[in-house]
Amino acid sequence: MDMTTPAIIDIKAAFEASGVGPVLEQLDRDLVGLAPVKRRIREIAALLLVDKLRRDNGLTAQPPTLHMSFTGNPGTGKTTVAARMADILHKLGYIRSNHLVSVTRDDLVGQYIGHTAPKTKEILKKAMGGVLFIDEAYYLYRPENERDYGQEAIEILLQVMENRRDDLVVILAGYADRMERFFTSNPGFRSRIAHHIDFPDYAPDELMQIAEYMLRDQNYRFSPEAKDAFRTYLDARMQQPHFSNARSVRNALDRARLRQAVRLFETRDQALTVDDLMTLGPQEILASRVLAPKPEQAA
Amino acid sequence: MNVVAPKRTGRYDAGVMKYKEMGYFDLDYEPKDTDVLACFRITPQDGVDADEAAAAVAGESSTATWTVVWTDRLTACDKYRAKCYRVDPVPGNPSQYFAYIAYDIELFEPDSIVNLSASIIGNVFGFKPLKALRLEDMRLPISYVKTYHGPATGIVVERERLDKFGRPLLGATVKPKLGLSGRNYGRVVYEALKGGLDFTKDDENINSQNFMHWRDRFLYCMEAVNRAQAMTGEVKGTYLNVSAGDMEQIYERAEFAKELGSTIIMIDLVIGYSAIQSIAKWARRNDMILHLHRAGHSTYTRQKSHGVSFRVIAKWMRLAGVDHIHAGTVVGKLEGDPATTRGYYDICREQYNPQALEHGLFFDQDWGGMRKLMPVASGGIHAGQMHQLLHHLGEDVVLQFGGGTIGHPMGIQAGATANRVALEAMILARNEGRDYLAEGPEILAAAAKTCTPLAQALNVWKDVTFDYASTDTPDFVPTMTPA
Amino acid sequence: MRVTQGTFSFLPDLTDEQISKQVAYCMRNGWAVNIEYTDDPHPRNTYWEMWGNPMFDLKDPAAVMYELGECRKVHKGRAYIRLSAFDATAGWESLRLSFITDRPENEDGFMLERQEVAGRSMRYTTRAYATDKPVGARY
Repeated sequence: MDMTTPAIIDIKAAFEASGVGPVLEQLDRDLVGLAPVKRRIREIAALLLVDKLRRDNGLTAQPPTLHMSFTGNPGTGKTTVAARMADILHKLGYIRSNHLVSVTRDDLVGQYIGHTAPKTKEILKKAMGGVLFIDEAYYLYRPENERDYGQEAIEILLQVMENRRDDLVVILAGYADRMERFFTSNPGFRSRIAHHIDFPDYAPDELMQIAEYMLRDQNYRFSPEAKDAFRTYLDARMQQPHFSNARSVRNALDRARLRQAVRLFETRDQALTVDDLMTLGPQEILASRVLAPKPEQAA
Repeated sequence: MNVVAPKRTGRYDAGVMKYKEMGYFDLDYEPKDTDVLACFRITPQDGVDADEAAAAVAGESSTATWTVVWTDRLTACDKYRAKCYRVDPVPGNPSQYFAYIAYDIELFEPDSIVNLSASIIGNVFGFKPLKALRLEDMRLPISYVKTYHGPATGIVVERERLDKFGRPLLGATVKPKLGLSGRNYGRVVYEALKGGLDFTKDDENINSQNFMHWRDRFLYCMEAVNRAQAMTGEVKGTYLNVSAGDMEQIYERAEFAKELGSTIIMIDLVIGYSAIQSIAKWARRNDMILHLHRAGHSTYTRQKSHGVSFRVIAKWMRLAGVDHIHAGTVVGKLEGDPATTRGYYDICREQYNPQALEHGLFFDQDWGGMRKLMPVASGGIHAGQMHQLLHHLGEDVVLQFGGGTIGHPMGIQAGATANRVALEAMILARNEGRDYLAEGPEILAAAAKTCTPLAQALNVWKDVTFDYASTDTPDFVPTMTPA
Repeated sequence: MRVTQGTFSFLPDLTDEQISKQVAYCMRNGWAVNIEYTDDPHPRNTYWEMWGNPMFDLKDPAAVMYELGECRKVHKGRAYIRLSAFDATAGWESLRLSFITDRPENEDGFMLERQEVAGRSMRYTTRAYATDKPVGARY
């Protein structure tokens, strides 16, 4: 670069040209809560944009490491955000095709000798050019079984993450504490991960909002009483084991829709309106076992 | 018609009546899926009504004669009468008309181009009330197509046998056409094949003359082919012309070609349709690719007003079972309008040809699973036109560079290498997604940097083009739809 | 000598970037790409050894380049390696492109054997010099 007359680099134009802006806005709009996640994604997008400008201007040669880990409890939006991340990476030119391959241990690890390497390679090849999302990645490593084939998958994975950074971005996902233990036993992964994003649990208000978005997408809504009932339901459900945030909300709504259908069917002598077809009443919520007044044991 | 008919009372009264009234003209007739359809360009004599002329063509190409015959009544005569079902004026040419005629499938013997052509073009072309007549196109129903074997080998299997994929094949006709001894002739074959061509070719009139008897040619050519194959590790071939004065000699020559291990033989169109179908069946039985040189076709295909369009010949030859057919170059020295040529190529290479008046295709044509026929582009083409050739002719074609190989200043091998390098560079660029037609000259220039023979070829032939108006062009421009 | 089988044998050996672009072309057309290798380059040796199955449903040429890299680790310099693309379309169901990506350091070429028979007729046999040596010691 000419140091005497510094060239002007138009970062705004570069940002606009990338088309990342609308993706970030859509992320803000579509996803409830997740403020720290959205902040991290903006930071990463900014870093990648600047890095690209630096490379375009000959200030860096190496492509950055892009592998990530997403930690958080189930139902906190990790898979959804991973798909958006693929979109952002694609728009910024860090991956060639906007596609995400989502797998778990069973897709990578075989049942017998010689089975794992081809299986892992097959998945890696399908994901190449895009993003590989490995959910509950720690299951790859089973220290209790010394003949576990997971180790073979890990070795191939590490090799590809290191040698083919241009071809594949890997996102490892799972519970925070177990991921931490996984990284401790497999330091190779830790050193290859550039970005960690922690997904917090949703607050009750956020879960309510998620519920209403989900219903709206399917042309349903709560009656006012049902809405109150669902809030009560959420408070109770969050105290119980196996609570998994948005996923639990979705399951609860699925059950409520079923109960509504049964109710409408059983009262089929009465005239129905479109409004009736759309509305979930309080009875659909209050019938849940979670709210059943029974001696201290809900499931 | 300028015939004065006596007063008549019934259809079968003795005497003469108009073809239109004899059952050969019915604008309400709906062609059946199984009918053979033909489109003729008719130029009636002055004063002759176009509809009557069209009906006469239908009549004379099926059951009619000039007068009423009572023996019609011994037959289901209406079934055997061809029916003219449509007559359109030719755009921009007030003296000509397109007559569409339907023929019942029962009029035709299965698996016989001889019978098909004797019916459709047998008598009618000399018919006096017409100044001129041209068979433009035919629709052959799938039920009739299925009675033929089709190409002995076909494009896909030819490629599999040769182990050559993803690019046009390259050939050259040995020059000079006449006078080389067998020994000298084989030298040209060896040089061209070793330099990078896939095929060399006998010319149409290389048969068995005093300067070179056929067995000498075959022996020296196969020495050259085998030697070139060993020097390159690549399958090579030379089209040994087996055309001869009688079928026995054709078979004898073909058998000798097989004995020597040739992959391919050739015939001339002038040997006749029966001979072509016979040798095509022989080729299928003997794992032989069959090349057809369309010798003589221009005598009846070139003029628009009279004769048979080459697209009909191409259809007949696909049925008859040849594997290669010369179908025009667009850019070379012989007749060939781009749109019309495109129609010929589609007939050879597609499974289904939709009607495309702008390419001269008057009918939808379904080939079923019939094998495809490799078109051959030959005559006045050279390496500098590679981008245009690929653009106009596509990938499944044999490009024959005769002069463009043998006339290279550094010799035949260099000429062959120049063509092969130009071709591979163009295919590479096309596959990479480049606009190879626009960037063609740069692509060739870049390839020439590592290939001196190509640089020399580009320099020698840089300005050679054959830019003359074509005589056989479509009557319809792309925006027109059938009336 | 230089074996000139395959679509691009008359060009200088393709770089990985060029190979990758050809693979991208195959993928755009929906063709499955196959890697094969052999130590017997006879022109009629149709069945080279397959390096795994043809690769279907891939999104990016990097996947094929990765496998090509794995194949090269084992065979580079000691065999010919080629990429072939299969088109499953009705009426084709065969290869649409096939080109050599790697070749042995020294290509031994072929012996043309002639057997003189009746009259001036000749029987020809093409033999790769490499196949005179046992498997594993050819290149």
